[in-house]
Amino acid sequence: MNGSQPIPRLEVREISKSFPGVKALQSVSLRVEAGEVLSVVGENGAGKSTMMKILAGVQSQDAGQILLDGKEVRFRTVRDAMDCGIALIHQELNLADNLDVGSNIFLGREPLKFGMIDDGEIHRRSEALLRRVGLTVSSRTLVRELTVGQQQMVEIAKAISIDARILIMDEPTSSLSAGESEKLFRVIEDLRATGVSVVYISHRLAEVQSLSDRVTVLRDGRNAGELCRGEVTHDSLVKLMVGRDISRFYVRQPHPAGEVVLTVSDLVTQAWPAHRLNFTLRSGEIVGIAGLVGAGRTEALRAVFGVDLPLSGSISVKQKEVELRSPRDAIEAGVALVPEDRKQQGVFLEMAIRQNIGMASLRTHARAGFLNFGVEQKQSAEMVQRLRVKAPTDQQLVLNLSGGNQQKVVLGKWLAMKPAILLLDEPTRGIDVGAKQEIYQLMDQLAGEGLAILFVSSEMEEVIGMSDRVLVMHEGQLTGELQRQDLTEEAIMQLATGQKHAVTHLHEKGK
Amino acid sequence: MKGKLLGIFGLLIALCVVGTIASADPWYDLSSSTFLKTGNLMNLLSRTSMFGILGIGVAFVIITGGIDLSIGSTVCLSGVLLWRLLLVEYVPESQYSVMSVSSSSRTFEMESAGVPFRPGDTLRYKGGKSDSRIYRVAGVAETEGRTIVTMEEGASRDDSGGQLIPTLKIMERIAAEGGVGPETAGSGTAGAGGTRLILEGQQSIQIRDQLNILRAPSGMNTSTVTDVQSDENRTIVTLRDQLPSTVDTNAVAVVLHRKQFMSVPMALLTTFSIAGLLGLIHGLLITRVRLQPFVVTLCALLIYRGWSRWLTGDDAAGFSEYSDSLGKFGQGTLPVILRGKEVVFGIPYPMFFMVAIAIAASILLGRTLWGRYLLALGRSETAARFSGINTGRVTLAAYVICTCLAAVGGILFSLNNNSISPSSYGNFFELYAIAAAVLGGCSLRGGEGSIVGVIIGTAVMQVLNNLIVLLKISDKLEFTIIGSVLLIGVTADEILKRYTAYRRLKQNAAK
Repeated sequence: MNGSQPIPRLEVREISKSFPGVKALQSVSLRVEAGEVLSVVGENGAGKSTMMKILAGVQSQDAGQILLDGKEVRFRTVRDAMDCGIALIHQELNLADNLDVGSNIFLGREPLKFGMIDDGEIHRRSEALLRRVGLTVSSRTLVRELTVGQQQMVEIAKAISIDARILIMDEPTSSLSAGESEKLFRVIEDLRATGVSVVYISHRLAEVQSLSDRVTVLRDGRNAGELCRGEVTHDSLVKLMVGRDISRFYVRQPHPAGEVVLTVSDLVTQAWPAHRLNFTLRSGEIVGIAGLVGAGRTEALRAVFGVDLPLSGSISVKQKEVELRSPRDAIEAGVALVPEDRKQQGVFLEMAIRQNIGMASLRTHARAGFLNFGVEQKQSAEMVQRLRVKAPTDQQLVLNLSGGNQQKVVLGKWLAMKPAILLLDEPTRGIDVGAKQEIYQLMDQLAGEGLAILFVSSEMEEVIGMSDRVLVMHEGQLTGELQRQDLTEEAIMQLATGQKHAVTHLHEKGK
Repeated sequence: MKGKLLGIFGLLIALCVVGTIASADPWYDLSSSTFLKTGNLMNLLSRTSMFGILGIGVAFVIITGGIDLSIGSTVCLSGVLLWRLLLVEYVPESQYSVMSVSSSSRTFEMESAGVPFRPGDTLRYKGGKSDSRIYRVAGVAETEGRTIVTMEEGASRDDSGGQLIPTLKIMERIAAEGGVGPETAGSGTAGAGGTRLILEGQQSIQIRDQLNILRAPSGMNTSTVTDVQSDENRTIVTLRDQLPSTVDTNAVAVVLHRKQFMSVPMALLTTFSIAGLLGLIHGLLITRVRLQPFVVTLCALLIYRGWSRWLTGDDAAGFSEYSDSLGKFGQGTLPVILRGKEVVFGIPYPMFFMVAIAIAASILLGRTLWGRYLLALGRSETAARFSGINTGRVTLAAYVICTCLAAVGGILFSLNNNSISPSSYGNFFELYAIAAAVLGGCSLRGGEGSIVGVIIGTAVMQVLNNLIVLLKISDKLEFTIIGSVLLIGVTADEILKRYTAYRRLKQNAAK
């Protein structure tokens, strides 16, 4: 079939997959050879995760084929994929944290002795697997006592234990420290040497560059191109991922920053009780918060939005100290948050667009507790038009909108309330490129109108492209602040991984 | 939602048609249908109304994603509370405590000095253990702060802890026929047949007080006063009953004043306040202490059941005292079709309560901020909180409303029944209410529900129940049949929902 070419270990031919309102994959193809590390890169929403879920049997494709050693296979369940030697290490770890390491590794495939679980056998084999992935904990340790990095290693050990020939890793380093990442890379090298194929998904381009034999780039659910080792450079990757000149993708008009609208002093969050946070935000300013997953960025935003009560410290909005005990307090002070978990925290999926947009501001228009349907309708029509929400009517359930349009609905809800400070947590996660750019334009426009924007993002390009200023966090601590002219991926990563403690003028006081 | 309502309404119509035909003999002769008998229909309306009120209450709680299992017990408790608050006692105007009775010395030693007895007075002794009978005072002496009363005749045995009650002389018994008729004829027909007595002096006797007539040596009659006429020297009392001819001037009378624990409006207000307070406690435990609604209301179910049984001493709580007044709310009807004075068909009063409550509930749910917030938090509590909604307070209100409506239902049920036995009354009512709400389109996952649906759902349950009786199906199968219909209903709904979702996906994919 492939002529003289050797048959690849895994080949994906023209796979398509749609969700309500989104075409996640359109005729995407890729192939992986034995003992090869293939990186799949692309922006959020490019279809990487969907592709991996299909390969691992979590979801099934609408059209297209998967070939394993040249034979077509069809995965209906995760078990089917596992039986064919494909293991997925998920973005979110799938371990039962109340069980010990060994039990997790053999979960569902427990060795039996006289019909009973053979505990001794589990731990004997687990210890060997743990040594292979370089993990020094006992197999009897409870998973919840491990760090995220260690848990990742347990997942890998689990994958090896089923003799996986193809290991799919979905953003494995997103929550790892630099040291843990190094360890992971060594394990990947080892696996490659023993003939295991690795499909590696990441948006850390430096990792991709050093690790991959080949890179497949996805964009908007389609193949955007392929690069072989040697051709992989930062610029070549970005060009394929974004599909246009990056400098024009991130729209920033220079505005003069106004007066300080948010002052956070000595804020101690519940998640990181050992560190104090100090920062300010001016009107008309866009400030990014960069850092690894779990660095305490979301927690900082949650504290400013009154979701989690801070342990100590003070927050001032427009020079006035406020006590934010609930989101309602924050909203009344003029703070809005577009949360990280859009589906759980941002929108009401089974409610109409109009009702979603009205949710935060209805109170101000209500008379004697009765809803003002007229204002609600007008407001919704205005926001749908301004934010270009793509839907036939605003009575459509948010459920049926694409991620980008859902995010616009969340933004509409807040803009209807006319906040002074807009907090955005991963504002473009899971959004297609077109909507992403619209959101960037909107952020720029809002800043121009004098809104103060503080946003958390794990996408380096976005942080660099959009921010006037970047705060970098590492393990709950503000490790530095970078001005727009100093923004580089390297500079941010150094601060984010704790290798460098850049700025002392932040009066970081520690405990 | 609309489709669901139509579906359940169709089911209701179908059941009614089946009921009409199946209960007629021959089947085409509608006039012979026992289902269509006006008495049956009135009963059905009344029951649907009362259960509908419970259903509306629980619907609010279900919309929050919670549950209230205590409704049945609350129904019983509110009936019992009302009974207790309206409890009527008959007490003599004055009575004096006796410390000890000596049969040999014919003396009664009183607890205190200054007892206003005189030789020649006739007293009633209401004993600790001894018989109730009358004594004539021979002498009264005071010693050491006590009074010793000597009687003409000794008690049959020693006793202690009783009461001596002054009696009134009966001056004359007026003949039942003829006699002094004119004055009393105006005061109603009830008094016409009863015995009339003339008592000494001007006595403050009220209609509905009771008269104890005692004869020597022993013998007692009690009857309710239906009319009183008095001047300076005498009081003419008409009794409800015709007393035996032995009641004449040899007998003496004790007036027992009717004492109602509370006035009717106060009793109703107190019952609702207690119910509201209980709902508040449920709500606080659920929203503040964060206990699960199931657990809280399960405990409440047990607590209220026991409390009801204790309050009544496990005896039936009856409302016969009030059957002409308050009882009308539960049993009365607004006549629609009359044949002479007989009501052929009337709208039961509970239905007016239900309709009023349903309209208020619909407005509350559909047109007020609170209703919107309730629906929103039922869909996603987190998203609601992140939109600045005080989810705790909104949820709390739902539990208070639910318990208050259970109390409204409970009062109507107990008045309708006239007497309830606290060990079992209201058992499973919560499940009927929950089942009706679910059948009517409430999702136990929360965020979904309509008041009209709940009422139609209730009607379906009641018609079903009615048919089981009319068609002489073994009532032991009642739960089985109701359970099956509910199961079929929700299964059909789920399958239909999945089918429409699939069709929508397919349409989108084709585009």
